[in-house]
Amino acid sequence: MAESEVNARRKSARRTTRRVFKAYRPQEGTYDELFSADGTPRAEFCKIVEIIDSMGTGEFRARQKLADAAFLKGGITFSVYSDNRGVEKIFPFDLIPRPVAAAEWAKLERGLEQRIRALNLFLADVYGEQRILRENVIPRALVEGSRGYLRQVQGIKPPGGVYIHVAGIDLIRRPDGSFCVLEDNIRTPSGVSYVLENRRVMKRVFPRIFAEASVRSVDEYPMRLREALAGVAPRDNPRMVILTPGPFNSAYFEHSFLARRMGCELVQGQDLFVWQDKVFVKTTQGPQRVDVIYRRVDDQFMDPKVFREDSMLGVPGIMGAYARGNVALANAIGNGVADDKAVYPYVHDMIRFYLSEEPLLAQVETFICAREKDCAHVLANLQKMVVKAVDESGGYGMLMGPQAGRKQLDEFAERIAKNPRGYIAQPRVELSTCPTWVDKGVGPRRVDLRPYIVTGKTTWALPGGLTRVALVEGSYVVNSSQGGGSKDTWVMGQA
Amino acid sequence: MISRVAESCFWMFRYMERLENVARLLDVNLLLVLDANLRDQERWRPVLIVAGEEPRFLERFSAAEADKAERVQDYMVFDEQNPVSILSSLRWARENARSIRETISLEMWEALNSFWLWLGEAGRRRFTRDRHDFYSRVKEQCALFHGLTHNTVMHNEPFNFMRLGMLLERANQTARVLDVKYHALGPTSAERESLAESAQWLALLRSCSGYESFFKQASAQLTGTAIAAFLMLEPDFPRSVLYCVSRAVNFMNRVRGQGNPMGERSAAALGALHRELEQATIRKIVAVDAGIHRQCTRIVQATADICDAISTDFFDPPLPRMTEFMTRGELAQQA
Repeated sequence: MAESEVNARRKSARRTTRRVFKAYRPQEGTYDELFSADGTPRAEFCKIVEIIDSMGTGEFRARQKLADAAFLKGGITFSVYSDNRGVEKIFPFDLIPRPVAAAEWAKLERGLEQRIRALNLFLADVYGEQRILRENVIPRALVEGSRGYLRQVQGIKPPGGVYIHVAGIDLIRRPDGSFCVLEDNIRTPSGVSYVLENRRVMKRVFPRIFAEASVRSVDEYPMRLREALAGVAPRDNPRMVILTPGPFNSAYFEHSFLARRMGCELVQGQDLFVWQDKVFVKTTQGPQRVDVIYRRVDDQFMDPKVFREDSMLGVPGIMGAYARGNVALANAIGNGVADDKAVYPYVHDMIRFYLSEEPLLAQVETFICAREKDCAHVLANLQKMVVKAVDESGGYGMLMGPQAGRKQLDEFAERIAKNPRGYIAQPRVELSTCPTWVDKGVGPRRVDLRPYIVTGKTTWALPGGLTRVALVEGSYVVNSSQGGGSKDTWVMGQA
Repeated sequence: MISRVAESCFWMFRYMERLENVARLLDVNLLLVLDANLRDQERWRPVLIVAGEEPRFLERFSAAEADKAERVQDYMVFDEQNPVSILSSLRWARENARSIRETISLEMWEALNSFWLWLGEAGRRRFTRDRHDFYSRVKEQCALFHGLTHNTVMHNEPFNFMRLGMLLERANQTARVLDVKYHALGPTSAERESLAESAQWLALLRSCSGYESFFKQASAQLTGTAIAAFLMLEPDFPRSVLYCVSRAVNFMNRVRGQGNPMGERSAAALGALHRELEQATIRKIVAVDAGIHRQCTRIVQATADICDAISTDFFDPPLPRMTEFMTRGELAQQA
């Protein structure tokens, strides 16, 4: 859409200006990110609310269209079906930002850093001395029975001792306004490209709002990641590459986006080969040594000689190079044991055990079906519970008890009884809401927050993160694969 | 650069070049059939023949359909089962671009992606409403893409492979168009040609955007051999085979500069074709029976062979060859 067209729309909108938040009422029993329970804007975000509100619904809609067009033209798409038409969907984007106050963010930052530190020590321990298991802080059977636990990397020390180079920790806000951790994603968390692209589009369609509100920049992420990876490289002047499963992977846009922004090469498994326990990339000038691989391929597909034999995505022999310390892989192999949903309830114990600190971030009460007592409780209260498969992500393998029908409940009860180690359950948390543009106006929709934490020689959290929003009224599920959208997250600068 | 990325650069431009040629061919033909007095099978069938699509077309449609303007154009523009339709070429150009977005510029990607989105919707409407305008826009989109490429990426290795892909495809296409038209019309001289024939020679020139250039030559005469000489051997015309091949040699030299051990086979094959064309004269070519047809066939085959050689040399070299380099110590400092 041309600027003149926007101006024309703006003029016509002025004639019939209807304030954006005129009819907005926060939902009872939840925390609203922008408004207090009495329906007045939260003091620290008054200005943001006022600017959007006074824009009027007409102009707001015009801006939303502009944003959608920008996403489509840029090919910023999340889901790619490999049929002939090449259907690519844009990740629905909502223009109303989700702000986080400066002081609140500072608190979160400390909590996240602490959590990553503990999880990293846990991984080093599990794949090393196993002190935490010997001292029975976490049951051995639980850890060794995890699908994410990989015997094949027992004893391997990754370069620099770093396991979790990139983490995406999912946070939710409870009705009392406190944040808590819903789950840890420390294998190959995705979504950060949307954080950066959302901001770019947002700046383009809302230049005025940025000029007036003080929002912290997210732009340095690629540079920080690059630095972190260089920090764990086994050699000086390292050649760093990003390994993608290929253009048909749903997160392909992100892989290529990061490669571009980090100035790294984007490779597929077929581009690499291993020779004498060293990794090489096939180039038009012959083979070249590779030192660091930011890999977006799952553990099980990394090396057909060690893991799944049928994998076409990995590099045969790469585990040998990794074991000898000739290549750094980010994230490390075997991290799945630490973000297993049945291990999650023990993260507070890890923090106390390794750091002798009190946990700064709360987490959700969790019933581990592998424990008999918990399992009985879960089965008896299934319709009040959210049940999750321990090694799934993306909102798959989930039961929302309160919304489920009889048939689905029975089905899950059976599944849990058959494989208790495979499931955990949590009481449903009332996720906070944020005003969101829906068909006819603005309504409250549930949101979560996934901050990204990068670790190399030091740890750094991207100010903000991905705010996902459940666009369906009343829905608690924010995953993009389940009809969720996203918002720009604004961490406010110190006033 | 990474071999697979080089391959995508190369193919992206081959596809773009191919679709531009199809658009030009259809556009020219559209005007030609309006007033040239042609027999039915001379009207649209040659377009299918140039594209190498006649057999596949006839598997699905009757022979009579091959003479129908709408059927042939639809087949060459939107048919998803036709691998060289504009739609198919653009899809594959875009798929290649999508797999190397970190290599091409944002401008290139946006231009290509907009083109793709346009072809699916607004373009389809334009095709129904104003055919000539549709083809013009396709050509414009290609020109935009080439211009952006030239001005927004580094002129280093990826660019060299893009250029190689474009030039080799272009040489191949020019030879194909010439061959088919020449075959249909046969050698002729200015004195004894019919009106319909001269219109077709002009159309051939237009199909290669060579009409004005041709007549700027002092000795321009509208004869088959003169046009064949121009399209094959004119060193300064950007769509002549010789021009494309000699430019391709330049880009090959750049790719192989600084002691790159790869590419011996492709450089040799390309060099051989180049020398051959440099030494050729139209007199020598037509002295042989069906000389122009033979020469065109030779060019089509040679460019295809060069592309194959480039593929095994640079894009998918066998692993033993890779480790051979290392054991020879050329990369010892790396290992």
